[in-house]
Amino acid sequence: MNVLMTGVGGQGIILASDMLSEVMMRYGYDVKKSEIHGMAQRGGSVMSHVRFSEQVASPLIPLKGCDILLSFEELETARYVPYLKDDAQVIINRFRLAPPSVISGARQYPDIIPFIQERTQRIHLVDGSSIAEEMGNPRGVNIILLGTLSTLLEPDEALWIDCINTMLKEKIRPMNIEGFKKGRQVQIH
Amino acid sequence: MGKKILLGNEAIAYGILAGGANMVASYPGTPASEVCEAAMKLVKKHDLPCHVEWSINEKTAVEVAYANAIASLRSAAIMKQVGLNVASDPVMSAAYMGTAGGFLLVVADDPGPHSSQTEQDTRFFAMHAKIPVLDPSSPEEAMKMTIEAFEFSEQYHTPVILRPTTRVCHARQLLDLPAINPASRQPDFRKDPYRWAATPGPRLVLHKELNEKLARIALHEWARPKRVFGQPGARLAIVSSGVAYAYIMDVLKAFDRWPDVCVYKVDMPYPMDHSLLLRIAQAHEKVLVVEETEPVIEMQFPNRERVSGRIDGTVPNTGELTPEIVMRVLDEVTGVPREPEDGAARKQRRPSLCAGCGHRGAFYAIKKALPKGIYTSDIGCYTLGLNLGGVDTCLCMGAAVSQAAGFYHAFKNTVNPPPIAAIIGDSTYFHAGIPPTINALVTGARFVLVILDNATTAMTGHQPTPATGCVTNDYAGRTLQLEEVLRGCGVQTVFVHDPYDVKGFTEITKKAYSLSEDQGVVAVIARHPCIRDRQALKDQAVYAMDITEECTACGYCVEQFECPALEMGDERAHIDPSLCIGCGVCVHICPHNAIKAERRL
Repeated sequence: MNVLMTGVGGQGIILASDMLSEVMMRYGYDVKKSEIHGMAQRGGSVMSHVRFSEQVASPLIPLKGCDILLSFEELETARYVPYLKDDAQVIINRFRLAPPSVISGARQYPDIIPFIQERTQRIHLVDGSSIAEEMGNPRGVNIILLGTLSTLLEPDEALWIDCINTMLKEKIRPMNIEGFKKGRQVQIH
Repeated sequence: MGKKILLGNEAIAYGILAGGANMVASYPGTPASEVCEAAMKLVKKHDLPCHVEWSINEKTAVEVAYANAIASLRSAAIMKQVGLNVASDPVMSAAYMGTAGGFLLVVADDPGPHSSQTEQDTRFFAMHAKIPVLDPSSPEEAMKMTIEAFEFSEQYHTPVILRPTTRVCHARQLLDLPAINPASRQPDFRKDPYRWAATPGPRLVLHKELNEKLARIALHEWARPKRVFGQPGARLAIVSSGVAYAYIMDVLKAFDRWPDVCVYKVDMPYPMDHSLLLRIAQAHEKVLVVEETEPVIEMQFPNRERVSGRIDGTVPNTGELTPEIVMRVLDEVTGVPREPEDGAARKQRRPSLCAGCGHRGAFYAIKKALPKGIYTSDIGCYTLGLNLGGVDTCLCMGAAVSQAAGFYHAFKNTVNPPPIAAIIGDSTYFHAGIPPTINALVTGARFVLVILDNATTAMTGHQPTPATGCVTNDYAGRTLQLEEVLRGCGVQTVFVHDPYDVKGFTEITKKAYSLSEDQGVVAVIARHPCIRDRQALKDQAVYAMDITEECTACGYCVEQFECPALEMGDERAHIDPSLCIGCGVCVHICPHNAIKAERRL
């Protein structure tokens, strides 16, 4: 199973993909993951590949090899369409961060849905950012999206909560668990 | 000790400490930074007798670590590939002298490049320096090789290079943690001036000794490519190393479309057993070499008639390899009809300075103070000042200062020489800015030296600097401030100002430039903490921002200030509240005074 997480530097993608890896490891899979550090983290495109199965050799997902794409930003989703399998599941956070060409007024922010529909119809839009705002924790969008993603995967809720408890500091646990549960309630089937 | 998901760089740190190192020295650089960070944490956690330091630069790191190794202890020096350029002088020499205790250089390459100036291949450097080099294909292998490298280094009295690439450093994998035993060895420096202080005559002897050593190492099992997949008589033999090997195995197992193929894995691309390479080339109809980034293994085949790879263009000779490139190459070499191309992923979003970054105000002020100037700059987050026209050059660590001097001399006899500003970060200045400052002063160069001081090494993940202190696990004494360093280098006037005050900073930069007529180099320290430091962010004033009807949508703010929170709409600019940190600096930028700020409590 190959999960690609995409978004923009600063959205908490690395932590979310770490958590997914930890859960899958505890579930009993071999896990490999690849992420990008450095300059891209300053507001550039960021992606993280998470691969889990009985045995995984390399940490990169090949083109047309992605089972689930979890995207933290709408336009970033479009950049990775070539990675999708034909029946891939795509979860998109409803959030637009204008790239430089839109900021300068040179271009309009594009509608990406038709572009993704050329590959798959299994597209789920999630109001992760608004839920995070409502909860008063705008940076918590990563845990909400992870909650939504978890409904497509085998491990049960208890294992996820257990991992949140071990990986996060006590002070921020309750808020993250609440966010995770909110994300799980989002209907995407 | 249990299982854990480790980042490749953490796995290497575990390997270093399980291998019994008493010293770890490093300068941060993507993709290598987390090795020393992880080692620092482990040493503190397990209270190990190991000195870990963030050295001032890679050359110093290697020299410090090497002394520990010739005192019969085990050392690791860690850097990114371009850091090895900085450290090349001691590394070249250490190869001749050899070592007493295990001496490991971890040099991380960055094919792509994702976060580097070049795609240089450290395995070539190793060949040039005559140092054995290991090419791990996964975090697990990197850890295992690291542990074994210390024994190997002591067995042959040679430095060893471990060369992981970005996809090994920044991959995570489930691993069995190794046992970490506190190193118990006592230092023992055996004086041997013909080795440790060799003059040219004895160096020739050492060179001969080194060649004999390499011939012996070429018989080690690491020097032999191992067949790990397919039959000995297969038509096509693939020879591969590093993460490229992992891609090969992945695609061969996942798809059935390439019959009659076998794979040889190379652990140590230099030195290699050439007789074995010759035999591989004779035993198979075709040989394909897949490696990152240069044809290091390929070149060592004594006869390349049946060999293809990067030299004949079968494998692309720039950029990072990916599973899909490997598949395309396999299709081509085996004559399998190619699957229709789907195009690679689209162009990536460019990075930019964070909303609220102090550097932005400094760049804006410098452009105002020294219009039509030449702005030489350097390596760090602030290279992104190029997005707002504040960076004209970025060559390598420290070059901002030397290039400023060079431009001054180039233009000094013209009618209207342009004003020049060297713009360099605090950590970069400590790393390589000091000698060129002295050089500029004593050669009569004239420019404003702006040091962007955010009190951290921000881009690589906030490592300490000599000014912040805490650069090691076992000493928290003296620190050194930039002002002290600059005055010691002979700079007469050193201004310090917060670049959030754009107007004040502009005036000071102008003043510095006029003073430079007499004083040559005048320094301005732009001091504002990195806003990614949570405490610093808490301590600063926050403003509620608003754009009024006075906005004419002229676009000046988004072009000249380039804050990611500012966006052009149809009728006026907008501020994205999810990105804005309320620094209030943009108020001073708008030519129509349309941006308003109200202090929040």
